[in-house]
Amino acid sequence: MTPGDGTLRDSASAPKRGDTYSINWRLVLSVVVLQSILLVVSPPLVVFALIEVMIFALYASALNLLLSFSGMVSFGHAVYFGLGAYGLALSITHFDFPIALGIIAGPLVSAFFGLVYGILCVQLTAIYAAMLTLACAEVTFAVVFQWFDVTGGDSGISGHVPTMLGLEPYQFGLVVLCVVTVAILMLWRVVYSPLGLTIRAVGQNPARAAALGHGRKSVQLIAFVISAFFSGVAGTLFGIFHGNVFPDYVGILFTVDGLLMVVLGGLYSFGAGIYGAIVYKLLDNLAAHYFEYWQLVIGCIIVIVVLVSPSGIAGLVRRIVSRIGPRR
Amino acid sequence: MSQPALRVRGLHKEFGRFVALDSVDLTVDEGEIRAIIGPNGAGKTTLINVLGGQIVADRGSVEVAGRRLNRQHPHQVAKLGVGRTYQISSTLRRMTVFDNMLCAHNAVSGKWFSLSAGRLRKMEDAVLADLKAIELDGLADQVVDDISHGDRKRLEFGMVLATRPKVLLLDEPTAGMGLRERHELIDLVLAVTRERGLTLVFVEHDIDVVFKAAETITVMALGGVFAEGKPEEIAANSAVQDIYLGGTG
Repeated sequence: MTPGDGTLRDSASAPKRGDTYSINWRLVLSVVVLQSILLVVSPPLVVFALIEVMIFALYASALNLLLSFSGMVSFGHAVYFGLGAYGLALSITHFDFPIALGIIAGPLVSAFFGLVYGILCVQLTAIYAAMLTLACAEVTFAVVFQWFDVTGGDSGISGHVPTMLGLEPYQFGLVVLCVVTVAILMLWRVVYSPLGLTIRAVGQNPARAAALGHGRKSVQLIAFVISAFFSGVAGTLFGIFHGNVFPDYVGILFTVDGLLMVVLGGLYSFGAGIYGAIVYKLLDNLAAHYFEYWQLVIGCIIVIVVLVSPSGIAGLVRRIVSRIGPRR
Repeated sequence: MSQPALRVRGLHKEFGRFVALDSVDLTVDEGEIRAIIGPNGAGKTTLINVLGGQIVADRGSVEVAGRRLNRQHPHQVAKLGVGRTYQISSTLRRMTVFDNMLCAHNAVSGKWFSLSAGRLRKMEDAVLADLKAIELDGLADQVVDDISHGDRKRLEFGMVLATRPKVLLLDEPTAGMGLRERHELIDLVLAVTRERGLTLVFVEHDIDVVFKAAETITVMALGGVFAEGKPEEIAANSAVQDIYLGGTG
């Protein structure tokens, strides 16, 4: 090929486009094996940190489905996280569910509230919808906080499930790894399927999607419920991990944690939640260890990352990979 | 004679005190190519928006292929076989050209909620064929944000075609394009419209394009239909020339 002959690409050698949607099993397997080894060889304190990272990676990935793909912002996503833990606890303490059934009930409670609040929130768009998600979260927090007879109010619920199911930390870590891996692969399936394409079309341009025949509200509602469900899976795991549940779990701080992870990880990329959770939790642990005003340090780092790479860590990773990776 | 593709009766729409549409009557036959022209503020885009379901009129009726629209949402109107483009091209800017067309195919596949990635892979050949038909296959892997304005307009038109509409509503299909691309696009629009026997209603400011393409021209002014007729009748109509001069001068 002579330079400047106008040929943009040889279409025969172009990669097959459908492959973008395939799961990179080699990558998944390497990450799972590496993480398993880390869990087995690390001391308990590190294992605890790793478990927390995995749970938040799932929570942030579920939130990311909304932020990056569906065109919605949730300022109250801790509700669906926390209600997973409350669903588990209440189904055992108030309905005498066996633990196994309670674990299934947790995410379903989250999905149910995702449906109810979602129906309200998709009636509005943009900042108005986001404000409504915040309002729904505040209502939920108030109820959980004040309905002492049922939720235990400020003192929460504990003792309903043995901490980490009575397993050794590394064993519980392996269970979490399995659940989180399967859940994130399911989210991948959602995003890179006909449904995901529809969600992304509606998220990017509701007017064009409507002209193609998609109603915005129903599509966004589906995304909202899926996101709530997987947030609930993360919350249920978190409830088992600590063997308790407090109103904080549905509170604004957990919401902000999730939002920060996604932004730090990089909007409009599937890996945002995973990258964000790893880096944010790492900072959280390290900064708290070395600095007195550790939140200030984290805040500054986030500001710098967002300024240097608006596409977040995912954007940085993409740039590095494209520089050192094979050229096509 | 089959019923008209579009029949509009007594359409009225006000925005505050501004009368955008003032009892508009319009009948477009099946397979007809109709241009809507008129000075700025004449109500052309509002009319297109009412036909597409984006705006609900205050009074009056709209029938598409004999079916009366009754406050349907835009996506429901789209399903009745009305395809539209926007004055400012409306595409999925963060996706590739290929994925944009894939969205159109996915939307009409009837299984947009499926979780099977295999369904998307099966659409690949049809998507590429459609991109070839609008001569965008060379840009398939470009992100839409990075392609030219004219190519975006072309892509938007192609996506609308992929949804197999019976009636095409194009709001200024060539706005902001260079002279050559303008005529290339309108030639493409005409070729497809005739080949598939579609009904075409388009708003256009470029008079050359209008007279080249339209079989009938509707002139709008101040929210109403001012004149209607064959291109040569409109060209000879001195009153039309007056409002054009009066409206813009």
